[in-house]
Amino acid sequence: MSAMSLRSLNLPGVGTKYEFETDKGDTVAIFFTKTGTIQMYTLQKGCTTPSAAEMTPVEARRLGNILTGAIIEADQESVEIAFSALADLRVTIHSFLIPKTVRGRTIEDLQIRAKTGATVIAVCRHDRNIINPPPSFVFETGDAALVIGESDQIKKFEREIMVD
Amino acid sequence: MEGFIIALFVCLVLALISKYLSIPAIPVYILGGIILGKAGLGIVHSDEVSHFFSEMGLLFLLFFMGLELKLERIIANSSKVLTAGLIGLTVDMGIGFTAALLLGFSPMEAFIVGAAFYITSTAIVITSLIENRKLMFKETETIIWVTVFEDIVLIIILAFLSVSDQNLLLFFAKIALGFAFMYGLSFYGKEFLVSILDRDDELPILFTFAAVLVTASVSLYLSIPETLMVIALGAALATTDPDAFEQHARPFKDVFLVIFFVFFGVTIDLSGGLNWSIIAIICALAILSKLISGILIGVVIHHSALSGLEIWANMISRGEFSIALAVLYGSPLIATTIAALVIVTSIIGSFTAKYSTWLRRSIVHYSRKKALLHRSN
Repeated sequence: MSAMSLRSLNLPGVGTKYEFETDKGDTVAIFFTKTGTIQMYTLQKGCTTPSAAEMTPVEARRLGNILTGAIIEADQESVEIAFSALADLRVTIHSFLIPKTVRGRTIEDLQIRAKTGATVIAVCRHDRNIINPPPSFVFETGDAALVIGESDQIKKFEREIMVD
Repeated sequence: MEGFIIALFVCLVLALISKYLSIPAIPVYILGGIILGKAGLGIVHSDEVSHFFSEMGLLFLLFFMGLELKLERIIANSSKVLTAGLIGLTVDMGIGFTAALLLGFSPMEAFIVGAAFYITSTAIVITSLIENRKLMFKETETIIWVTVFEDIVLIIILAFLSVSDQNLLLFFAKIALGFAFMYGLSFYGKEFLVSILDRDDELPILFTFAAVLVTASVSLYLSIPETLMVIALGAALATTDPDAFEQHARPFKDVFLVIFFVFFGVTIDLSGGLNWSIIAIICALAILSKLISGILIGVVIHHSALSGLEIWANMISRGEFSIALAVLYGSPLIATTIAALVIVTSIIGSFTAKYSTWLRRSIVHYSRKKALLHRSN
């Protein structure tokens, strides 16, 4: 963190610019433009022309999630939704790849709801989605489960059920 | 009224075409207007309705410019703004004014042509910088500061041109009073203004619209230029919550400004003794003079003529402000000249902006090759 200095600048008519130089001398610049898009530029040390990517706010948040390490694998991702009308209810939806230890066991058998409070709302198997799997549902290798709950419940689910 | 509806429909089609071809919309709107209007098919005529909407377009353009004009930020960057800005002003305004004078315009007309010749289109320049993904270029910041400087010059030009034969002292006293009132209101009424802008009913948008219109009509009543006062209103309100005001004023600006451009085209009159060679010379000089000022700015600020070339490639387009000057102060001849200037420079400018990287690369390549040949001889 020592050498990295983040420079932010408001460009009239364009938007806000954030720029920093990495330890290795590469430069990264992010622009939040007034048109609502986000442009990210990277300039390798010693080069003169940067390369650029333009993103929508959703895509930028996704990139942000990847960079903060919230998404460990591409198949595992998490979104938190806040419902301001429902006393600021915050719900997290997280996808998990089913580990070997869970293979062959049912949702009932694992006591997911009782132990963690989270609910499995969908399972993706061979590119097909099974919505609202019943308690008798048996997990197989390669399954991806979509789990909904509060963020603490999701963490508990990850600690207690998704153990290798 | 039917003409107005036809014009609106044509605008919609033209907007789609310009987005599809990714060329700036302003010249397309003007061309559309010319084809529909006096000089072309003669289907659309300007009437009271179109006149009202065009005027709204101008007012909201200037209000928006005021909102962007954050004085404290300009002062913080004053050395950058001044150096590059002054080079542009002397070179471009100088060449534009002299050329117009030599080509037979009266000094006053030459001044307006020179000003329209000088001021680049902030809208086209900034959109093309974003679309061509040039925001990280070191020249981009310089370009943006030059456009900010040009805005300030435009305000001075508007003030200068609107000084009529009234008592100067009284005139400036009235303007100063207006400024003081608007800044006072924004300063002492900040909390109230922000509370209005935070509402999610029709109030914020109604307030924004009314503020612009009331300012314009009060200025007319006091016989001070409404253009200046609307810019000042924008600058004063920018001290409260500029983003909210921009958001609420944007729909008005977007719609009215398109009508403003189209009806500028509609009123263009190509009959009568037009000298096309004069217009062609002015257009060619407009591109050349930006090359000179661009290279000078590049050499002074970035110590590189190639940077100057990049600045030139992005700053050729004239647009909304040139047209505003033509509408406010131009004779029919000046209006035609400026219309041609805007159409030619903005279309050529959109190509130079798109291919400038390629241009720079081939120049570097060519000079290296030449140096190698020179060495091997």
